[in-house]
Amino acid sequence: MSRQSDILKRSAAAALLFALVLVGDGATRHPQAAAPQAAAPAQPGAGLPLTMPNKEDSLKFAVLGDFGTGSKQQYQLADQMKRVHDQFPFELVTLVGDNLYGSERPQDFKKKFEIPYQALLDAGVKFYASLGNHDDPQEQRNYKLFNMDGKQYYTFKPSAKQSVRFFVLESSYLKPEQIAWFEKELQASDSDWKIPYFHHPPYSSGERHGSDTQMRDVLEPLFLKYNVSVVLTGHDHFYERTKPQKGIVYFVVGSGGQLRKGNIDKRTGLTAAGNDQDQSFMIAEINGDQMWFNAISRAGQVFDSGVFTRRK
Amino acid sequence: MVRRSGRIVPALVLACLSVYGCSGASAPPEPADQAKAAVPGRAAAPADQPVNADAKAVAGFLDRVNQYVAIHQKLENSLPKLSKESTPEQIDTHQRALATMIQDARKGAKPGDLFTPESQVVFKQLLAKVFGGPDGAALKASVMDENPGVPSLKVNDRYPDTVPVSTIPPQVLEGLPKLPEEIEFRFVGNDLILMDTHAHMVADIVKDAFQQ
Repeated sequence: MSRQSDILKRSAAAALLFALVLVGDGATRHPQAAAPQAAAPAQPGAGLPLTMPNKEDSLKFAVLGDFGTGSKQQYQLADQMKRVHDQFPFELVTLVGDNLYGSERPQDFKKKFEIPYQALLDAGVKFYASLGNHDDPQEQRNYKLFNMDGKQYYTFKPSAKQSVRFFVLESSYLKPEQIAWFEKELQASDSDWKIPYFHHPPYSSGERHGSDTQMRDVLEPLFLKYNVSVVLTGHDHFYERTKPQKGIVYFVVGSGGQLRKGNIDKRTGLTAAGNDQDQSFMIAEINGDQMWFNAISRAGQVFDSGVFTRRK
Repeated sequence: MVRRSGRIVPALVLACLSVYGCSGASAPPEPADQAKAAVPGRAAAPADQPVNADAKAVAGFLDRVNQYVAIHQKLENSLPKLSKESTPEQIDTHQRALATMIQDARKGAKPGDLFTPESQVVFKQLLAKVFGGPDGAALKASVMDENPGVPSLKVNDRYPDTVPVSTIPPQVLEGLPKLPEEIEFRFVGNDLILMDTHAHMVADIVKDAFQQ
């Protein structure tokens, strides 16, 4: 083994240890829990210390939220995403809302989205948006690069390589028709992995927002009934991976541009890993029944990683 | 008796909208079907059945909303259609042009044009029951999250770009009348608004919708 890859492996392990020491893991084991395991194969070669299998036929994607500020930090994180993409060619990015802050004039779509992610767009990466409470539905659902096809909530199956379907919800206005649509789509889907994503987190340790228990009351029964294993959200401006909740792992990835330093309330007991000190995003890889993930900071640190087995 | 507000809300609405009324005597066998009769686009209530004042008020509100949406659709149809290939410039131009045309068509529009005085009473009572229930505090906290209010907001105004929209919990939404796709309920501070989502503007306002 080369000295370089050995160093990369050690860096990854140190980063993981840092994250786990910071907030503790202590996952509650559920009979069908998709409990994450820390071990993941190292990515050989130069670059960031990613710990993803990076297999040819896997589905690779990124998760980004609360990012559209146009700030220097957003641009720096976007640069980091491109560096990661060079090593780990994710085909799509799931956007968990608050895609543009403030005005949404044409120039804002450039400054807060197209320019920072130009390199990824040029590389053919597709962005699939969900709407947050800062987003103008009419502007964004019709915006071609957000791939919403004019809809406020929708579902898509990214590729035939893996049995995965995403369900994109509009969580600031979860009307009965949308909930009925969601259940119908879950029921109709024969995908092994059913991955909902939306803005407001059913579980979160955010001092600013925290868990949206009203939404949880409505959506969690559906997640459980239809064997959802992982849920992606934003809204709270940090990264958090929860301990499995009734067997489901919830990610809060609201750290793409806005950041609320020190906002993770460690007393909730929800946190398996978190980072409220730097902007960050997440990458994931699904191959068969397993999903690997890395969370990566603006500084290029892989501060959380692991692998789940899906609920069956 | 139902435990959680998420279950109480629809029960309240349906009860209030039923032909037997909020204070009605014995519970009707199928109140949900009776309530639906008040909503345009669904089967109308048989003519020989009594209709209570609350159901009438909500039906009146929905009539006004439908009239508004008819104007909205007529004006929007006069604009170039958006397509999957539309640019941000075209989308933005479309939205602002629609808003200007609606503002022109509704010159002199004022609070209460859609939320009729009678329906405002019903909405305030409904919200008081929802937010006064066992989960009322949590529901209110959800609504007021990042929702400081815009005191100067008026009917026909563009919704301010820098102000996030309030979240309406599903338990609240499922108790409110179903609106056409172009219109949403939102709270701005303590005010309940009807938001035209295509034009990104305020169609009507109920000031201080949360009764104590």
